[in-house]
Amino acid sequence: MTSLLEAQDVSRVFGAGLLNKRRIVAVDGVSLIIDEEKPSITAIAGESGSGKTTLARLLLGVIQPSSGSILYKGCNLTTMDRRARKEFRRQVQAIFQDPYEAYNPVYKVDHVLTMPLRKFRLVHSRAEMHQRIEESLQMVGLRPEETLGRYPHQLSGGQRQRIMVARALLLNPRIILADEPVSMVDASLRATILESLVKLKRELGVSLIYITHDLTTAYQISQNIYILYRGSVAEVGSVEKVIKNPKHPYTRLLISSIPLPNPDIHWGGESEIETKASAPSTSLKEVRGCKFSNRCPYVMVECLHASPPLYLTDDNRAVACYLYKDSTQVSGREMAESLTLD
Amino acid sequence: MVGDRAQGRDTCVLDVRDLRVSYHTAAGLVRAVNGVSFSLRPGERLGLVGESGSGKTTTALSLMRLLPESATIEGGKVLLNSVDLLQLSEEEMRQARFADISLIPQGAMNSLNPLMKVGEQLRDTIRAHQNRVNSKANYAKIDTRIQEVLESVELRAGVMDSYPHELSGGMKQRVCIAMAILLNPKVIIADEPTSALDVVVQRQVMETLRRVQEALGASVILVGHDMGLMAQFVDRVGVMYGGKLVEVGPVRGIFKDPLHPYTKLLIKSLPNLQTKEDFRGIPGLTPSLLAPPPGCMFHPRCPQAMPHCSVDVPVFKEIIAPDRWAACHLYDEGQT
Repeated sequence: MTSLLEAQDVSRVFGAGLLNKRRIVAVDGVSLIIDEEKPSITAIAGESGSGKTTLARLLLGVIQPSSGSILYKGCNLTTMDRRARKEFRRQVQAIFQDPYEAYNPVYKVDHVLTMPLRKFRLVHSRAEMHQRIEESLQMVGLRPEETLGRYPHQLSGGQRQRIMVARALLLNPRIILADEPVSMVDASLRATILESLVKLKRELGVSLIYITHDLTTAYQISQNIYILYRGSVAEVGSVEKVIKNPKHPYTRLLISSIPLPNPDIHWGGESEIETKASAPSTSLKEVRGCKFSNRCPYVMVECLHASPPLYLTDDNRAVACYLYKDSTQVSGREMAESLTLD
Repeated sequence: MVGDRAQGRDTCVLDVRDLRVSYHTAAGLVRAVNGVSFSLRPGERLGLVGESGSGKTTTALSLMRLLPESATIEGGKVLLNSVDLLQLSEEEMRQARFADISLIPQGAMNSLNPLMKVGEQLRDTIRAHQNRVNSKANYAKIDTRIQEVLESVELRAGVMDSYPHELSGGMKQRVCIAMAILLNPKVIIADEPTSALDVVVQRQVMETLRRVQEALGASVILVGHDMGLMAQFVDRVGVMYGGKLVEVGPVRGIFKDPLHPYTKLLIKSLPNLQTKEDFRGIPGLTPSLLAPPPGCMFHPRCPQAMPHCSVDVPVFKEIIAPDRWAACHLYDEGQT
């Protein structure tokens, strides 16, 4: 295994400044590895406030970790030179959650498509540029004649989102980091966009980091999944194991809350978890011990004292929960490494 | 009419007939809702699903007569207990909103006034429908009612003194539900009420909505594109495409045995948790409403299209079983 992109025990703390004394640990000791040789799709899933977008920004080098490091081809993002950084910026492309923020409202949308091609000198003529742009727009289901020449505010959220996918495709990246790329598009189109992302992996060998709150699509397209809860990994492993047979009480709550498109499967089968866990956790106050302990129906004394380490409950899956303390402990890094192996 | 009885028109609370709404845009006339008819039974939960641009939100907003200025209702009837809402004066319609038919708007949590305490906004809703003097006794009565309703949506009475930004998304959504049921309406329209919420909170909010709706005996129209939510929440589903209803039927029938090719593909496009990579997008694009295709709106994308599909507009009619409606030439006489 050679790592292409790697997060080593990364944490990020916000606040704690002179004026704002409240510390918010947005990402708390997360390790993750994207393998260089074998293209993969890794899902990072969690609710709002789980730190998934902060983790994405750390992986892109947009913000610096408070501790730990992010490595691209073995080089630390914070210390790499300009040339390596430019290379990193072409090879690691992002598709963000809110496609409106990615646009400059005074430029036509063509700008976001032509600029990267020019900047990285990927085309040699105007005709070639137009052809590439039209192809990539069609790949995400847009009619070029209805999209080009417009301003961002003239397009719907779904259209803007798809243009960002098209833009990422233009650059032939090694990794695409997609933060909720389909949260604003319709079901039929969602499938089309996800298919095109899977195709990129299969045909062009692009690895994907898929950040989402939607466990169904995560299950469908990815091999491995990290379930985040308030910045920490609650459960990590192969999607088959984590989604089909979740072990962490939080993962179980999440999965039982998914409204399945089948009227015969009743919503929220796991009712034991319902009563206690339904207390909304909006307070960002730090909880001592396990962060889920105040919502957890299985809470034990030890949960209140120290946050649980990862326990390797079975092959290719680890759970940060004292319910599984009889299993072997494993570090986040060891777990990330073992997931790249099979 | 036979069709009237079959769609339950003799016992319905809300009866929408041949509704037509257009938007006047710089590029031309957009027929966003093009002849939509459906009915809503007492206590029933009806889902209106469709992709963006299918006309579902425009339909919902025209029932409330809350369309933007660029839109015109070109025709049709919206009969609420036999009164045509489209014929009411502005003042009569204002009185009907919330009292008879209420709306939980899209992104409802952002529809609260950020400068007003929640309690004040709820009081306003009641006062706007009362001509009574502002006596102390009346104020106390209003507050009792508000507390009752807040309790029914599982909020503490304390939220009355909160500003919207002090509440979480799920709590704001509950306030919007409280507002919608405050005056005991017969019909509640919920337009993607939980699209901004996390799954866990979404389920709790939808359960609350279901409970208060059942307690009230009101009917609900749930507008959205989340088929999962539809499967879990509604009794009947209406599928919209290009400004028309293409299929209406009981929720189990729609999911088990969809009739219209669009519904079939829509259901195939849904990812599940049972089998991997078992979902397919629908090829092609949603029709441009500026230049809609002739004949059946879906024919350019339809895998079962026949030559006359691009010429004749299919009739929306009862097919195969009672209560199952679809507009598709596959079910014409003489087709197999």
